[in-house]
Amino acid sequence: MNKNKIIRPIAYLAIPLALAFASLSIGRFSVPIDKVFSILFQGDQSDRMMANVIWSIRLPRITLAILVGAGLSVSGLAFQSLFSNPLATPDTLGVASGSSLGAIVSLMAGLSLVSTQLVAMSFGLLAIAATYFASRRKGERSLVDIILTGIIIGSLCNSLISLAKFLANPETQLPAITYYLMGSLASANWSTLRIGAVPIGAGCIVLYLIRWRLNILELDEDEAMATGTDVRMLRLVTIMCATVITASCVSMSGQVGWVGLLVPHIARMMLGNDNQKLVPATLSIGAAFMLVVDTAARSIIGTEIPISILTSIVGAPFFISLIRRKGGRLS
Amino acid sequence: MNFEVRNGSFSYARGSEKILDNVSFSVNSGEILAILGPNGAGKTTLLRCMMGFLDWTEGSSLIDGKPISEISRRQMWNRIGYVPQARGYSASGTILELVLLGRASRIDLFKNPSESDISSAMNSLDQMGIRSLWNKNADQVSGGELQLALIAKALAGKPELLIMDEPESNLDFRNQLKVMEMIQKLASNGYSCIFNTHYPAHALRYGTHSLLLEKRGSALYGLSGTVVNENNLEKAFGVKTAIREIETDSRCFLDVLPIETAEKKRNEPTFWEREENMESRLAIVAIIIENRDAVERINSLLHEVSSYIIGRMGMPYEKKGVSIITVVMDAPQDIIAALSGKLGQLPDVSIKTTYSKV
Repeated sequence: MNKNKIIRPIAYLAIPLALAFASLSIGRFSVPIDKVFSILFQGDQSDRMMANVIWSIRLPRITLAILVGAGLSVSGLAFQSLFSNPLATPDTLGVASGSSLGAIVSLMAGLSLVSTQLVAMSFGLLAIAATYFASRRKGERSLVDIILTGIIIGSLCNSLISLAKFLANPETQLPAITYYLMGSLASANWSTLRIGAVPIGAGCIVLYLIRWRLNILELDEDEAMATGTDVRMLRLVTIMCATVITASCVSMSGQVGWVGLLVPHIARMMLGNDNQKLVPATLSIGAAFMLVVDTAARSIIGTEIPISILTSIVGAPFFISLIRRKGGRLS
Repeated sequence: MNFEVRNGSFSYARGSEKILDNVSFSVNSGEILAILGPNGAGKTTLLRCMMGFLDWTEGSSLIDGKPISEISRRQMWNRIGYVPQARGYSASGTILELVLLGRASRIDLFKNPSESDISSAMNSLDQMGIRSLWNKNADQVSGGELQLALIAKALAGKPELLIMDEPESNLDFRNQLKVMEMIQKLASNGYSCIFNTHYPAHALRYGTHSLLLEKRGSALYGLSGTVVNENNLEKAFGVKTAIREIETDSRCFLDVLPIETAEKKRNEPTFWEREENMESRLAIVAIIIENRDAVERINSLLHEVSSYIIGRMGMPYEKKGVSIITVVMDAPQDIIAALSGKLGQLPDVSIKTTYSKV
């Protein structure tokens, strides 16, 4: 038990880090691993082309992969606790669809990348607020009501996205929207990262700090209140963190599906269902998973494959086997 | 500690039909309150109101005389442990992880359970006799084991009062007994307990006090022996019952036998009969105690009815290592029956009650 306490944190940091270095070197334009180190740590500028690829293309992209992977996974985990439902994903509350709609609206309006992020984030929050208030009945709301309302809000957002696509200029705007919806990390650059990293990082830190309390959310309403915790506040903080993370991820990388479902369940298979252990594991596995997927997406074939296609090829069979094995239960 | 509900009424909307109507009761350390009533009489609503999950429309819950609305949630839940029903309970973690959640009111917001929290959790598993299950998944243990784990979870927070929602429902014969014995043991260690139950016999046997609810929300509260009688059961449940003593070698039990359903008069108000046999009778209760530890418990039971006692004799008999107590009472028959019922359940105690013919 004590051995795990030392080994686990080291592994959680070492594995994504090792994968990050590997994917810095892998790609259509291959950079030897020793060269990667000398460019990163010794300021080696002997090959301007290589240094440029590493510093301005791959490093921001890899940073984004780590943020999006860790962020979407941990927000998926948070939503699963929130609904005591293993099939809950960041899409459950309509957040992902809402954020996408916001991003597409600003794409069509020709806004800058930074504004696009802010608009996507506010649409995401708007969607969650709509879900939150629409699900209220007689001053109370049940979790089933929330999840059903979330799906309705999500599909409303998707209809509006279709409307936007219908109205978009098929020559210039439609391809951009379609490509965005399939998810890609290719647009990563330092200036968008500077805006997007803050909410993702902050959300992850808060979720990490309250990780043990997430277990309380899985209890029955009365039982959760009987722990002396301010359950409404805990739920609100968790929803806010998970939403802000999801909206920021979506605004930077488009709709990357399945990660929020797959990664928490891989962690559950390894560690059980204690969120105290699951949160750090999910952050690490999420980052590692996204690094592998994104590296594969940009290097398997000559042209780049949208990430969502890869994640759903892995995710869909996994999802089906999960339903068959566990029905609607967490464990 | 003392937990009290004072004139509690509840309805979902103002002016609509009352689900609970002017309910009052009080529970002290070492006492067990059984809440009894037919389906739909509002047992669960009462539980939720008393703990503040629902707000009383009128009246309030008080801890040591202070309304719970003036106490912080955390402080309140440091003193009260809530045990939910094991039926339909879904938990995803291990038993230890489950029990640790009972420590939540004693752990700071951004902290995780410490070594000492883990050892408290293990101790309460010990108390329930299920330490060996700590590593098992909560959905892989039996219903009885899960119920004990849920009690352990409440105990891990070191409360003074346990509130239990049908702790023995849906359990087999042996597990029912095990859970109820555990509750009795906790009460004798100074915990206060409140439990919901479907079984009048359990209220009679384990509850020092009972609260009987009927469909229209009115309630009768008092010593179990005075509340749970044939008349009141027929009024609350619409069932004709026979309450009889069953004697074993050394102990005497009261059992409730349901005989047949009775016609319930729908709109007639219920007149509870608290002391049905108000006519007082003379009786001698003779008690032989084989275990000195029981003496204190017996004295406190006798103290509750001291106003009815007209004569009392106590002597130790060293040669056999026993104590003998004889009490002469002039009391309503229900009070005498309640007392002898309670005494008869104590281990290592033999008792016989003789009534006068007048």
